[in-house]
Amino acid sequence: MDIEVLIESVANAVTAGITIGCIYGLMCIGLGLIFGIMKVVNFAQGELLMLGMFASLYLVTGGGVLAFLGPYIGPFVGAILAGPIVFVFGALLHKFLISRVSGLRTAGSIDDGHFGQLIVTLGISLVLQNGGMIVFGTIPQTVRTPLSSSAFLIDGFYGDATIFLNKAKLVACAIAIAVALILYFALEYTRIGKALRAAADNPTAATYMGIDVDKYYRMAFGLGSGITAIAGGLMATYLSFGSFIGFDYVIIMYSGVVLGGIGSIMGAFWGGMTVGMVQQISALVLPPQLQNAAIFIVFLLIVMLRPQGLFGRSAERA
Amino acid sequence: MLEVSGISVSYGGLRALTNVSLSVSEGQFVTVVGPNGAGKSTLFKTISGVVRPTEGSITFLGRDLLTLSAAERAHLGIAHVPEGRQVFKTLTVLENLEMGAYPKSGRVNWTRTLDRIHTLFPILAERARQMAGTLSGGEQQMVAIGRGLACAPKLLMLDEPSMGLAPAVTDTIFERISQIHGDGVTILLVEQRVAEALELSDHGYVLETGHMVLEGSYQTLLADDRVRKSYLGLTDE
Amino acid sequence: MRIGTAANLRRDLIILVGLSVVYLGAAWFVSNSYFQLIMTLVPIWAAFGVSWNILSGYGGQLSFGQASFFGVGGYTMTLALVYWNLTPWLGIPLGVVMGGIAAVVIGIPTFRLRGHYFALSMLAYPLAILYFMQYFGFQEVSLPMHRNSPVAYMQFSDPRYYTIVAIGLLAISVLVCSLVENSRFGLALLALRQNELAAEAAGIDTRTWKMRALIVSGMIAAGAGGLYACVQLVVTPDAMFGMLVSAQPVVMTLFGGVASIWGPVIGAAFLVPLSKLLDAYAGDYLRGIQGVVYGAAVIAIILAAPDGLFWTFRDRFFKPKAAEPLPAPHPEPRVASATEPAGAVLMKVEHLSKSFGGLRAVSDVSFSIGEGEILGIIGPNGAGKTTLFNVLNGVLPADEGTATLGGETMLGRKVHQVCHMGVGRTFQVVRSFPRLPLLDNVIVGAYGAGLSDHEAAEEAIRALHRTGLASQAGVPAGQLTNKQLRLMELARALAGRPRLLLLDETLAGLGREECDDVLNVLNRLRDEGMTVGIIEHTMHAMMRIADRFVVLDHGAVLASGRPRDVVEDRSVIEAYLGKKWLAKQDA
Repeated sequence: MDIEVLIESVANAVTAGITIGCIYGLMCIGLGLIFGIMKVVNFAQGELLMLGMFASLYLVTGGGVLAFLGPYIGPFVGAILAGPIVFVFGALLHKFLISRVSGLRTAGSIDDGHFGQLIVTLGISLVLQNGGMIVFGTIPQTVRTPLSSSAFLIDGFYGDATIFLNKAKLVACAIAIAVALILYFALEYTRIGKALRAAADNPTAATYMGIDVDKYYRMAFGLGSGITAIAGGLMATYLSFGSFIGFDYVIIMYSGVVLGGIGSIMGAFWGGMTVGMVQQISALVLPPQLQNAAIFIVFLLIVMLRPQGLFGRSAERA
Repeated sequence: MLEVSGISVSYGGLRALTNVSLSVSEGQFVTVVGPNGAGKSTLFKTISGVVRPTEGSITFLGRDLLTLSAAERAHLGIAHVPEGRQVFKTLTVLENLEMGAYPKSGRVNWTRTLDRIHTLFPILAERARQMAGTLSGGEQQMVAIGRGLACAPKLLMLDEPSMGLAPAVTDTIFERISQIHGDGVTILLVEQRVAEALELSDHGYVLETGHMVLEGSYQTLLADDRVRKSYLGLTDE
Repeated sequence: MRIGTAANLRRDLIILVGLSVVYLGAAWFVSNSYFQLIMTLVPIWAAFGVSWNILSGYGGQLSFGQASFFGVGGYTMTLALVYWNLTPWLGIPLGVVMGGIAAVVIGIPTFRLRGHYFALSMLAYPLAILYFMQYFGFQEVSLPMHRNSPVAYMQFSDPRYYTIVAIGLLAISVLVCSLVENSRFGLALLALRQNELAAEAAGIDTRTWKMRALIVSGMIAAGAGGLYACVQLVVTPDAMFGMLVSAQPVVMTLFGGVASIWGPVIGAAFLVPLSKLLDAYAGDYLRGIQGVVYGAAVIAIILAAPDGLFWTFRDRFFKPKAAEPLPAPHPEPRVASATEPAGAVLMKVEHLSKSFGGLRAVSDVSFSIGEGEILGIIGPNGAGKTTLFNVLNGVLPADEGTATLGGETMLGRKVHQVCHMGVGRTFQVVRSFPRLPLLDNVIVGAYGAGLSDHEAAEEAIRALHRTGLASQAGVPAGQLTNKQLRLMELARALAGRPRLLLLDETLAGLGREECDDVLNVLNRLRDEGMTVGIIEHTMHAMMRIADRFVVLDHGAVLASGRPRDVVEDRSVIEAYLGKKWLAKQDA
């Protein structure tokens, strides 16, 4: 193969990997919050991603955000606004369903209540996927923005090789990083953020401090839902999606979170980024159908060989 | 200040506490001692709200505690230093102390409170940015006590602070607790180490297999051989 | 077969035959072809549910990847038919074999995981296979028609014949499940589901049993997959390996009743017709209603009746039968330790150490237990007593030192191997199987020791008599009192014919009278020659029963000897009451 073409392919794959990786990273932070703070296994996280996409879609097209802000900014603002909407949805989900199978209620049981959580969230996933099909229809959708069909060009670094930086993905990536940073600072430096971390670290001691752990868990669940939804809204600008799209991303999210290490929220970001890179680079050598299979294989390998991931602490090994 | 009367607690068939009563007046240093399995920690957890009693009442400054959840009780000015330290391992020492100040009362005059904690336990100032999980047992106990003081509490409750610590470290801890009492904080201490605990206190109670069997001042209890018998299983009943 | 289960097996068979006859009878009268399809699909999905139930219901290994085997069975049958012209009558059994092989291949790496990691990994397999199948071009494979000899190729013109075959498959599956449930296989699965550690300590090789469960599960699932493909006449990767396929048996079994024979059948009987009919009537404008129904059903069930409909009804309407009188035990052969003269050393521990990071939990501990004596291991909280037992028992590896039982080393062995050597262990937290009768709870210990069904029953009955629980043999363990549960643990350990009993806080939290009862049992056991090491905090009880004490403090041996002597020992008093106390007393 021509060296120049090779370098161009690799360079493009790497940059695509980084941009998409950041968005995956944000998506994984959402799951990391839920999994890491609350120790809840949420099988429906992919559906929260999907809801973010549709929330953004309806905000932009139906809610008039597009009309107001124009097609360049609208879809991205829609993505960001999808966050609070799904935050509320997530909090309600927790209040009525998830809290019944998690938290201090199940803390002492044999498997920390994971059985019940897996089942309940499986049920929620089924309802949302199929219910989504009923409500949203079956036609694939996108949140269109002209930015998705234009790109920055970087060339001159090696002959005629050119890197295409898709503008929409770039903006999405920037927003993803910004949201991740805001979250990081909030968790590190605000009183609520610290209380959240304390509740995750030791719920009993947190209760002694006067922290209402149930309320914080609800907040964490809502936050995790909202963040993943924002990632979804961002992805909606360059993907076409239907109500079943969440399913493709569940394993990606878990791979990212596990790779980054359970309990490390920012680790989840790096884990997601890595998975994104693997996916884009594997596109160089693998046909499309096998790319997702590659992710699964990566997931299996991580879970068997290094379940504590890069930054994590706990693991469930036999 | 704190009135516990007729408390009974059962865990699924096990009678942990039967008809236990005690009281703590403002400014007092009260100790509850007893051998392993006597129910001391259960008593502590019942007052904190983590465990619900089947009978009895607990009031603090006139308020019925049983109507409040555990988290709510902390906001009344009761601080807990739980058994086994229970520090937030992944938070720094300073963040641990800040968590202690979570209730509103803690945020008033925070700098002054933090100063006092640092004066009592200088090592906490040194290690402010270190993760609490990396500290030694004795240092973690200091973090836990400091955390308890962070909300400028009216009542400070400690559950077996000596557990798992070397004797020399325990001595230091007890010294500090005594100092805290000297500063005017009311203290309820639950302990296994009899003499160290009783020596510092105004009033003591002895708990054995869920019953309050003895009570009195430090000298009275020290002279009573029933304490030794109760610890070493020599009581004839 | 477990003793007393022959009746269960008969009952299950009768119900099976009865239901089958009724069902087939009803199927005969159905003429609408869509309904006929439903009648066929219900038993197929029910069989699939049974396969999941064995692994995840009885065995507790929650798996979201049952579709792997379903798909393997389906595609094996299909591809064999397409490429080798192999009739499904042979192709489906071939698929069953392939399902078993797939189970071994998947099980070996994946059983190293637990909990939600296991569940998610099991999910990854069928999905990965799905993508590979799509890649290899098996988008849609149709079964070739054989008009010349349709029956030989399982292609019936009248769909009702499919129903008969499906019922046949279900019948076989249910029979297998009943055999499993009523044999030691089922008990081993329930034990390791309830508490894997205690099961290991009772001598059950959990790894092997999990693998066996997976193999049986995989084979039945493959059979269901093969028949399903036959009925549908076309296979696609999504229909065979897809997410919804993996979800079906989970939902059905949870709904109908986990760890019960009829649970998957009930679940399938409710949910399949419901969703298919909804699909037919409302499917046009409510596409995906099937998924919504399944999802809602599973949420409702796990919140309202987490064990499934079968158990909820049974618990409410069928009170457990009165305890049947147990046969008296045969005269007991002397325990194996009779070969050693009384008073000789049975277990010897030398310089044992165990550290966790920087913490020395067990520090250079040496002591011995003699034949027929009761040794009390005491010490203040956190002294390392339970860690010591955990090392002796095989739960934790030792860092240094030796421990021998009758001269053979105990260290470096797996937990169930230590049990086979003759060490019975109880744990601080008692775990029983609440729905099973006391006798079954106890007999697990005997199975673990490798006894035959008959011997196991004998030993269990004997153990119950020795602990005074004989009259409660038929009572479900969930209804026992605390004292009885402790004695049950003791009986379970006894059923394994141990030479040495290691008891961890057996008396904790018992009232005065209950304590006396348990102490009487221990006394009787000692009179019969049993050797016991017991950790306890209840000092006054220990004073009455122990022959000798070993006192641990901060992981090291502080003193040992006769109780009265030890209690007067200054270092012991200091450990319990503190240096200052001693100082004050001296002053």
